[in-house]
Amino acid sequence: MSVEFAGLRLANPVFTASGTCGYADELADFMDVDALGGFITKSITLKPRKGNPTPRIVETDAGMLNAIGLANVGLERFVAEKLPVIARMKSAVFVNVAGTTIEEYVAVVERLAGEKALAGFELNISCPNVKKGGISFGTDPAQVEEITRAVKKACGSKVLIVKLAPAVTDISVTARAAVAGGADALSLINTFTAMVIDIETRRPVLTNRTGGLSGPAIKPIAVYLVNKVYREVAREARIPLLGLGGIRSAADAVEFLMAGATAVAVGTASFVEPDCAVQIVAGLRDYCARKKITRLAELTGSLDRPA
Amino acid sequence: MRALIDRKANGMTQERASRKKGSHTATVLSNVQAGECFWKLRFRFEGEAAQAFAGFRPGQFIQFDTSELAIPSIETIPVALRNGARRNVLLRRPFSFSDVTVESNVTTADLLYCIVGPASLRMTTLREGDTASIVGPLGNGFAVREGTRIALLVVGGMGLPPIRCLAKSLSVEHPDITAVAFIGSRTVNALPLEERPAVFEEDLSLSVPTFATLGVPSMVATDDGSAGHRGPVTECLSQWLQENADRPREEIVVYACGPERMLAAVARIANEKDIDCQVSMERRMACGIGLCQSCAIECRLADSDETIYKLCCQDGPVFDAREVVFGTDDA
Repeated sequence: MSVEFAGLRLANPVFTASGTCGYADELADFMDVDALGGFITKSITLKPRKGNPTPRIVETDAGMLNAIGLANVGLERFVAEKLPVIARMKSAVFVNVAGTTIEEYVAVVERLAGEKALAGFELNISCPNVKKGGISFGTDPAQVEEITRAVKKACGSKVLIVKLAPAVTDISVTARAAVAGGADALSLINTFTAMVIDIETRRPVLTNRTGGLSGPAIKPIAVYLVNKVYREVAREARIPLLGLGGIRSAADAVEFLMAGATAVAVGTASFVEPDCAVQIVAGLRDYCARKKITRLAELTGSLDRPA
Repeated sequence: MRALIDRKANGMTQERASRKKGSHTATVLSNVQAGECFWKLRFRFEGEAAQAFAGFRPGQFIQFDTSELAIPSIETIPVALRNGARRNVLLRRPFSFSDVTVESNVTTADLLYCIVGPASLRMTTLREGDTASIVGPLGNGFAVREGTRIALLVVGGMGLPPIRCLAKSLSVEHPDITAVAFIGSRTVNALPLEERPAVFEEDLSLSVPTFATLGVPSMVATDDGSAGHRGPVTECLSQWLQENADRPREEIVVYACGPERMLAAVARIANEKDIDCQVSMERRMACGIGLCQSCAIECRLADSDETIYKLCCQDGPVFDAREVVFGTDDA
């Protein structure tokens, strides 16, 4: 079940996605967090952020919108309170980094780059729920390359994953920009900006007006975009993809692997079944046994290889 | 090519595994329409699930998975709800209990619910013997502080269940505490009362059976005057405090659950009299276990003008009324 991901040997290809699994071992009461291949923290910013006023979420058909607004404890408290817990975790831990300026991203990464407990960083340039920064960095290829390059320089030997926004004209363009900037891996997709209107009050349900759509509703789009980036960018550049978007079963995970992902992340599904990610690890094991697959790497991108 | 880094065992697995909570299976004992506006669902938990309730406190909640339940036939669905009835349910729904009985290896729990959308609509199709997945009990329930002699229980509409649960726990575990209930509602039919008295007394009496059987006197207030006092329930609370002004304030605690506007008014009254007050808050929640950060409650920091967001699911749902900044959520 082990996979190689950007030079790291991971016990299995299943991660929990940023913003759905806390900072460290918050899920430990519900599952064995050490059974995960990888773990991506909630977004960390240089200064603490309160986040948006409520309502911050609304359920939709087969999905949900969230507009949390990058609420987080900030770098200082993360280092003091969460890093010691992360140091005891066995899975590869990546810190998701967000900010409003390139300098803020770099400051967070510089402070954490020397921490042995961390495997690397995930660059959040695709959050749709903040006024400045976030997705505005992630939709302009020139900015994607610039911020990736700046952060990569601050990363030291740590792995840098760049998380791509899905709502762009051609996701391969931003993927190429991230690779040119020095990304070691790409994760895709983040949520889609979306809206729900309350027809009684004639107002958007979310105080933020819009939120990021996640859950099973976006899975087929995510599979397509992973496959597109795999074929057009990642395969040739030998850059691993972390696929996510609506995964809630091992079968979903296998789709992403076949499309071109080296690893997958479970997001919204953890809200419903807190131990969903470890159930998927078990389900993948069963699938491999049934199909006599000895190396998971065989599955990655197998859609586009002759059987 | 970087060297492969091997991240292997350091022996934490077993310790963590023993703390695993996860989801539990609940078996339905009964599920009936118990009044004009609400249904009553009785669960039975066995084994590990029953033990999860060992330290249960009234005010704690569960996350209930309704996504796999059937939709009732369309003609039985109230017209106002038909639009959204077929919408898929993804997330669990939070519920508190009106009654929990914990025995050695079996726990029974009553949940009162209104039909408001696709999830609660699906719940009406549960039948005796069906099973359902729940996560919990979660969050912090009502606390009984040392020295409490009088518990003033304030209910607004569907805020009744956890307060009823608290009344029972007080009568069993703290017979030395005198409890009094103030039950408010828009109109009497919107109250989740299984048994209705022939006459709702205007004053404190043992007329409301669900509290009377616990020896807790109560009075009802309705906005439309359909039962009891006409006007907000907070008027009844204020009046009681005025009539009992000689009681030392340290002996009194106010416990409240209901719409946020009511909670704000109750908190204001308690604060004016410098009486402790615990409020059970409500927010839209995705996970209920502190992961999604959606159920934010704005709270004051002690000795500061600054506010922070706490989480309804993890820091609450029961909060000290002094710390809550009310009225920030109109969901």
